[in-house]
Amino acid sequence: MSKTAGYLKEAWTRQQFELAYPLLPAGTAAAVWFGGKPLAAVGEGGAELSAGAPAVLSFDLRLEGEVLGTVLLRPPPGAAAAAAAWGDLLVHGLQGVIEAQYARHSVAQETLESYREMALLQRAVSELNHSLKPVTVAASLLKEFQGHKGATDFGAVFLRNADDGSYSALGAFGAAAEAACAALVQSRLFAAMDGQPQGDIVNDLAQSPLWAGEVAEFQSLLWLPLSVPGESLGLLVLAARRPEGFAAADLKRAQTLVSVASSALRNAQLYAAEQAMFQSFVRVIATAIDAKSPYTAGHCRRVPEIALMLAEKAHQAEHGPFAGFTLDDDERNALEIAAMLHDCGKVVTPEWVVDKSTKLESINNRLGLVALRFELLRRDALIGYYRAKAEGRPDAGQDYQNRLRQLDEDFALLETCNTGGEFVSPEHVERIRRIAATRWRTAGGEEFPLLDENEVYNLSVQRGTLNPEERKIIEDHVVHTIKMLSQIPFPRSLRNVTEYAGGHHERIDGRGYPRGLKREQLSIPARIMAIADIFEALTAPDRPYRKAGTLSWAIGVMHRMKQEGHIDGDLFDLFLSEGVYLAYAREHLADSQVDPVDVTPYLDSRESSSNLA
Amino acid sequence: MTQNTKIAIVDDEVHIRALLEQTLEDLEGEPEILMAANGAEGLALIEREHPQLVFLDVMMPLMNGYDVCAAVRRNPDLADTTIVMLTAKGQESDRLHGLDIGAHHFATKPFDPDEILELARRILRTS
Repeated sequence: MSKTAGYLKEAWTRQQFELAYPLLPAGTAAAVWFGGKPLAAVGEGGAELSAGAPAVLSFDLRLEGEVLGTVLLRPPPGAAAAAAAWGDLLVHGLQGVIEAQYARHSVAQETLESYREMALLQRAVSELNHSLKPVTVAASLLKEFQGHKGATDFGAVFLRNADDGSYSALGAFGAAAEAACAALVQSRLFAAMDGQPQGDIVNDLAQSPLWAGEVAEFQSLLWLPLSVPGESLGLLVLAARRPEGFAAADLKRAQTLVSVASSALRNAQLYAAEQAMFQSFVRVIATAIDAKSPYTAGHCRRVPEIALMLAEKAHQAEHGPFAGFTLDDDERNALEIAAMLHDCGKVVTPEWVVDKSTKLESINNRLGLVALRFELLRRDALIGYYRAKAEGRPDAGQDYQNRLRQLDEDFALLETCNTGGEFVSPEHVERIRRIAATRWRTAGGEEFPLLDENEVYNLSVQRGTLNPEERKIIEDHVVHTIKMLSQIPFPRSLRNVTEYAGGHHERIDGRGYPRGLKREQLSIPARIMAIADIFEALTAPDRPYRKAGTLSWAIGVMHRMKQEGHIDGDLFDLFLSEGVYLAYAREHLADSQVDPVDVTPYLDSRESSSNLA
Repeated sequence: MTQNTKIAIVDDEVHIRALLEQTLEDLEGEPEILMAANGAEGLALIEREHPQLVFLDVMMPLMNGYDVCAAVRRNPDLADTTIVMLTAKGQESDRLHGLDIGAHHFATKPFDPDEILELARRILRTS
């Protein structure tokens, strides 16, 4: 039923008719038909009146030339003129109402269209502008056409490469969409769309000279350029499997959406470019830190891998201590950045401390100087021998031999202590002090101790090569990391980067550095960082102080760290039970390092560190 | 939707009545559309005609939409009448009050015709 039927309301028309009827000559039958339906009938036989019947007067109700209805009158004999005048008057009135209703409907229709467009814009703006990724913008735009009542069978957003003008699909829906996209891009029709400021509808593709049936199913097509002032971004193409698949209203609706999508896409592209630049800055810094020392090469690149693998397992866990832990894309990104930058404070740590491979190394290894002094003493001993021999002393040879043996033993001890591989006991320290007290004399007769205070101090370091001051410098790198990262105005999505990065040397028992935070004061990602940092360091290729460790050794060391309250036990258990250590080892460690590990003895849940919290 | 489906539009603004009426003419089954221009007239219309669905403006002379809604909800004969309150943009905070007194749905003016149609279809299908 056409909408024009509503232009004349049945109740109103009947009332109008009944009000006017008494003015008709008595005995007249009358009826009104509109839109194919009887609206009113009065007088005897009024309902049965039909146009063309004898003595029936018929008056058309028209709208813009089209006949929409009829007023029928059958006057009694002799009253035709009076009835005709009545009919003219009534029709004039009804005609006015129809036209007014038509005008009202048109205005209302226009207004409703505006309402529709406004509602569409409101929804689309929030949906499209919400996304910061080009691919999500494309998906949101396509969703507006997918399953819409226009029955669009295929839709795709093509992105224009600004460098070479080529197009690639950013998103698509429909059967065999990928193949359709590829075929579409090759068509001459597609080439003709490129660079056009306005879109269009192709109602019958078979008739188009530019279409060679590249996608056999497509019968009609709608396309629109995605653009911002001065720049063409891409194309939206919709297709239907029947001719005349799209109407002007579809194009208008698509235009509204595309105008919003274009600026959203542009913003997303700019944002993506900024993100890429930021990411590469982060990577440059990580590479620079790694490059500072041959011994930490790849550390800042590998820690993120371990951290993300472990975080992903915690995210996936549906039971146990991490059932409630989730990691969205923003947090994943934050963790990755934190892991790449966790050692950024090392840019201010002097290399000679980072790389200090022996205790007497400062800018260079001072053991050579000590060796020279020993050489001096050997010469002195030789001179002493000749002098004693010249004086005819019988034990000169024996004394000389004893002296040389003593010097060799002393130097061997210093050499061993210097490496940092051995634990230096109080007895060792006593011997070092005794050796230091040995004096050597210059040619001018001036006397010096064999080792100065600083050399004794460094050689007496119990574990490793670093003295307490140097250890402090190393530990300070985390302070510098925190100071440096605190100055970066990270956006909300990355606001936890500093906490994650700055917590990698904290211990869950609160004895870590620099802040001495306890388990409950550390976020899960920060605790993950600590595990990733330690595992990478233990399994890394040669370090100044030791050879590359095997996997089983590293796990053993970390298990002890778990028992000592150094690392988070629940996370370490997850690290083992989910095979994170093995997946990482297979990909990144030398085959010689990857020895079999039986993790079952380490997975005793009773020693879960949650008790330590 | 049965032939005698009735929908009432109660709004003091003539253009809103006209636009809603025209929108609802797209409904299947040609429901009867009744209109009233103020709250008091609207309540009388609802009590007389028992429409399945009422679009009810909030801000109206004589009797506001909330009072009409509350009166309809007090009348057990009108238990099957679903009420959609029409609020102007920016008055969304009034929704809580509307829900308290028994309104079922809200539509913001200017309304999205397609949303109104879908809402009406959904309500009439289940009523």
